Amino acid sequence: MAAVIEFQHVTKIYKRIFSEEKLAALADVSFEMAPGQVCAFLGPNGAGKTTSISMLMGFFFPTSGQIRVFGKPPGDLLAKEQIGFLPENFAFHKFLTAPKLLRFHLQLAGRSPAGAGNLIADLLGKVKLNGYENLKIGKYSRGMVQRIGIAQALLCDPKLIVLDEPTSGLDPAGRREVLQLLAQLKAEGKSIFLSSHILPEVEQIADHVIIINRGKMVRSGRLQDLLASGGQVEIVADRVPPEVAQSTLRGVTVEPAPEGVRVLVEAARKRETVEALWAAGCDVIAMTPQRSTLEELFLKEVDRPGGAQ
Amino acid sequence: MRIRAIALNTFSALLRNKIIILFCAGCVCVLLLTMAGLLTMRKARGAQNAEAMQMAVLPLIGFTMGFVSGFGSLLAAWSGADAVASEMRSGTVLAVLARPVRRWEFLLGKFLGVQMMMFVFVLLMLGLNYLLAWIGGASIETAPWVLVVYPMVRYMIYGALGILLVTVMHPILAFCIVLVGMITAGIVAPGNPETYVPDWLRNGLFYILPSSSLLSETRFLTITRATLRAALWTDHATALAYGLDYALVCFLLAAWIFHSRSLSRD
Repeated sequence: MAAVIEFQHVTKIYKRIFSEEKLAALADVSFEMAPGQVCAFLGPNGAGKTTSISMLMGFFFPTSGQIRVFGKPPGDLLAKEQIGFLPENFAFHKFLTAPKLLRFHLQLAGRSPAGAGNLIADLLGKVKLNGYENLKIGKYSRGMVQRIGIAQALLCDPKLIVLDEPTSGLDPAGRREVLQLLAQLKAEGKSIFLSSHILPEVEQIADHVIIINRGKMVRSGRLQDLLASGGQVEIVADRVPPEVAQSTLRGVTVEPAPEGVRVLVEAARKRETVEALWAAGCDVIAMTPQRSTLEELFLKEVDRPGGAQ
Repeated sequence: MRIRAIALNTFSALLRNKIIILFCAGCVCVLLLTMAGLLTMRKARGAQNAEAMQMAVLPLIGFTMGFVSGFGSLLAAWSGADAVASEMRSGTVLAVLARPVRRWEFLLGKFLGVQMMMFVFVLLMLGLNYLLAWIGGASIETAPWVLVVYPMVRYMIYGALGILLVTVMHPILAFCIVLVGMITAGIVAPGNPETYVPDWLRNGLFYILPSSSLLSETRFLTITRATLRAALWTDHATALAYGLDYALVCFLLAAWIFHSRSLSRD
């Protein structure tokens, strides 16, 4: 199946006019996003996330490399018809009310706002803004603005939803509602390209993760694979004689557990350890791969010395 | 539909723009001062000498409306610049251009929104022309369409110029350049007394800068019944074609620059 988003060796260099000063915001970034995926695009501040999203939407132009969205160049009208976009710190025309704003965006999408009352009411209900139809957006709280932003991103039933920090400004309840909404969209088969700093939430819905740091891609892959790779395995065993604990299990973490002992080993050493325990007459009860969290993975990649220098 | 939606949205935003409201308040003050002068003049002269009234009142109206109309040119330039700059400043341009809208469609929508506001301004000016003439006891012999079409074409030039300049610079700087351009165009216009400006520079500037005097409707206001001569349609056509052409070139240049510029929240 054709990729929804393709970045091929994309580089973006900012240059100052009348100056030799150059800043590489992105350097040779390549990745693909398959249809129906939830792809988390992660990186610390200044890593190049917003630059990448801006190029994806056709607001910026890459210095070199190629970007394709639904097989078309960014900014192509046919591609944009299939995209719902929520920029970071979304701003609206403050004098409009939420229904007027959504009608305006319907017109921008080339659709008639006549008879769109139900659609607009549904969307406002989805983002919990019903009851505020007559309030101007200028009087909205930060969280409400974010919700109306999400509503406009979902307005024309897009196939691809690009969200730059969708939960910023939302309270914990609001964040949970947005996550539920994203999970629902994922179930409907929508492709979601998501940038966020709230990693535990991203971990709940993302299929694919791309981590960039200082303009370079440092890690990319299926979330499950990334979290499992390089992790530890927990082995629970019973009837472990003390001499085995002192010899066979030397160098690994051994803790007492209700069932006997809990042994934590590197994934690469799991077979060797289990076989040694069996050979010593121990009873191996369970073996469970230990997953690291996305936050741990992210910090490991970002803090890695020389990882993306 | 997209262009219309952007134009109507721009029009609504401009009507709420505090700087523009301040502009218009200044215009109203000038008009009130003129009105007071006209009422005094009317009381002093009485209604017996209609021809003398006409000769005295029309130049005053011409002067006042020339001022208001010139104010309109600055208003058009500021509105054009601010209509685009405010979208860049607030970041709303990102939401708009994330929709299937071409960049030139966005600019055209902005331009038309500005022209909608200027059309309201021109209609108000037209009404005020007749109101002032009525207060002064004079009558305006010029055809109403001249008082609508000429300023509209001029405002198209200044609106497009404002949009062109703001695609590459800050709106305040763009406005200042338009203001300096307007003053310079007035200085170098043919018929003005000789200045220290060398001829080659004077001619060059005359051809480059928009000719406000050619597109000034107030020159028709000062034509009294005694000296009225219908302008040839070719005169109108040439002057208006010049204005439309100038506005079109400015708009196309703006669209070309905007097409390739990076868009971000300023």
